[in-house]
Amino acid sequence: MKKLLLVLLTVALCGCTGSAPKKEPQGPEANQLWGEPLRSVALMLPPSEPEPHALLDIGLVIFDPGVPEDPVNNSKLGIFPEIRKAESRYQPYILRENLVKTQAWGAVRVLPRPDASAELQLSGKILHSDGSHLVLQVRAVDSTGQVWFDKVYHDEAVESDYPVIPGNDPYADMYRQISNDILSYSQQLSPAQFKQIREIALLQYAASLSPEAFDGFVSADAEGLLVVNRLPSQDDPMLERVQRIKNQEFLFIDNADEQYLELYDRMTPTYNLWRQNGRELAIYKVEYEARESSRDRDGRRGTYAAMQQTYNAYKRSKEHDQDLDELAQGFNNEVAPTVLEVQGKVFRLNGSLDSQYTEWRSILRSIFALETGLPPAAE
Amino acid sequence: MDSGFGYTTIMITRTKKILFPVGLILLGALISNAALAQKLQNRNGKTVDFSGHWEMNYSESDNIQARLDSMVRELQRRAQRQANNNGSNRSNAAISSAPGGYNSGPSVIGLARMADSITQSQLLEVEQGEYEIDIQREETFALDCEFYGDYFHTVETPFGKETCGWDSHQLLFRILLPEGLSIQHRFTLGPSGERLNVATTVVSDRVSYPFTLNRVYNRFDPGKSGISCELTLTRGKVCTTESSQ
Repeated sequence: MKKLLLVLLTVALCGCTGSAPKKEPQGPEANQLWGEPLRSVALMLPPSEPEPHALLDIGLVIFDPGVPEDPVNNSKLGIFPEIRKAESRYQPYILRENLVKTQAWGAVRVLPRPDASAELQLSGKILHSDGSHLVLQVRAVDSTGQVWFDKVYHDEAVESDYPVIPGNDPYADMYRQISNDILSYSQQLSPAQFKQIREIALLQYAASLSPEAFDGFVSADAEGLLVVNRLPSQDDPMLERVQRIKNQEFLFIDNADEQYLELYDRMTPTYNLWRQNGRELAIYKVEYEARESSRDRDGRRGTYAAMQQTYNAYKRSKEHDQDLDELAQGFNNEVAPTVLEVQGKVFRLNGSLDSQYTEWRSILRSIFALETGLPPAAE
Repeated sequence: MDSGFGYTTIMITRTKKILFPVGLILLGALISNAALAQKLQNRNGKTVDFSGHWEMNYSESDNIQARLDSMVRELQRRAQRQANNNGSNRSNAAISSAPGGYNSGPSVIGLARMADSITQSQLLEVEQGEYEIDIQREETFALDCEFYGDYFHTVETPFGKETCGWDSHQLLFRILLPEGLSIQHRFTLGPSGERLNVATTVVSDRVSYPFTLNRVYNRFDPGKSGISCELTLTRGKVCTTESSQ
């Protein structure tokens, strides 16, 4: 009979409501999932001034916010979508600043969308982000399709990271480590490889404007990596036009970059406070849970004192969560207008860029058709 | 025994036959959970709008003493029925004296006190959207729920598990806590939309009968203050005057 009761109790308590995802882990549990957090990392600089051929342009795509498609999981996982959206634009900007600081690269641009013709493209996904831990998955791939790395970075903030000193970031080690990894990989490349990356990037861009004119210049090898079959002549007027249009595109992207800078400047004080408060709340909650689990019962099971103790523990934990929600709301109230504004500008810029692309491509195809007598490429 | 509620006529004797009622309760909980799941999954897609400000109407709300008396009478009736079924002239104890024991006086009264203490909020403020509801309760944590999909929303913490969703036109929150304690709030809107009933049921595995307390709320208009405030992180609460339009 007792066994039957135990079975009934187990089923009654856990059988009918389905499982609920738990909030993402902290402490040792977090390290088990994402690996040990980074230690102190110094920004690596190139040993000598890089040769001009090694100054690759980097396209840094705004991060994937990592918000689950099913919105029902957001609150269960402790994810605030609006904050993630802001972070997905904020974090690439910090990485950009580190890459620029090394002086090992050409132009480093934050892109509103992926660009297949980037010499080196960095993309990232936010796996976890709060005041205690930042976990990013970062992928670096060059124009040939060669993946330099695709790895998960985990950094943990410590008490001394807060309050955040202006110009610093609690996860600065992570951005420096990503920068270092890119530089380390690039140092293994030969001048010929740099040259090929740059040539393929330009040809890919040209082919995206006029596939017919640039068909056959590039093909995939057995491993699926792009290789140059032949090159247009140095004084090919079409190539000059392609280069000119590409420069025009960069002007637009540089304009977009300024919007990300504006977002970064305006968001930093609020974001730092959000992370600091969030971390303090998380620590308080962990300590509270530890205190509660080791605390003596106030009375025998079933008495008012015991029930009240049980209920109050739950009540406090709910209040902690709701304090965090309130913080998130305060963050949104302060930052959302900026994000929307920046989003609006970037979005409009995207639209402009897209329409100009279409127009440029159309013009280029027309010019090409006039010059070569070939039919214009299909839209 | 001074219960704190003025109830002094609790019959105190011992009972040894606690296993059967415990089994019944657990079976009841099992059936109840399954029924809740089925109901919520079959819920009517058209939901009721609880949005607005609500204040407690004491005259229409349950009297805690009357509910406690009613519960004790029910326990006595059950004990008597059980005694009759067993062919005994003498009924088993409805309520025992051992603190924390099954159906003990402190447990029964504790249940009523719990129901009373967790339903003290005089004011409620409800914000409801298509997919979520947030019920701010004065001086305690808010009850919030999301309605995505056909399943009901469950949030688990180290201190308990909360499940919520629609049961036809009623909104349910069920909180399962450690040590055999569970709390259910059932929100029902009156036909006119001006009256809200919150039925709170507290269940303990130390008492064979749940305790339910109804609190009735009336809609009220907090009025326009002429000032609109919002919370910010760096500047705290920022208030602006509302336009006269």
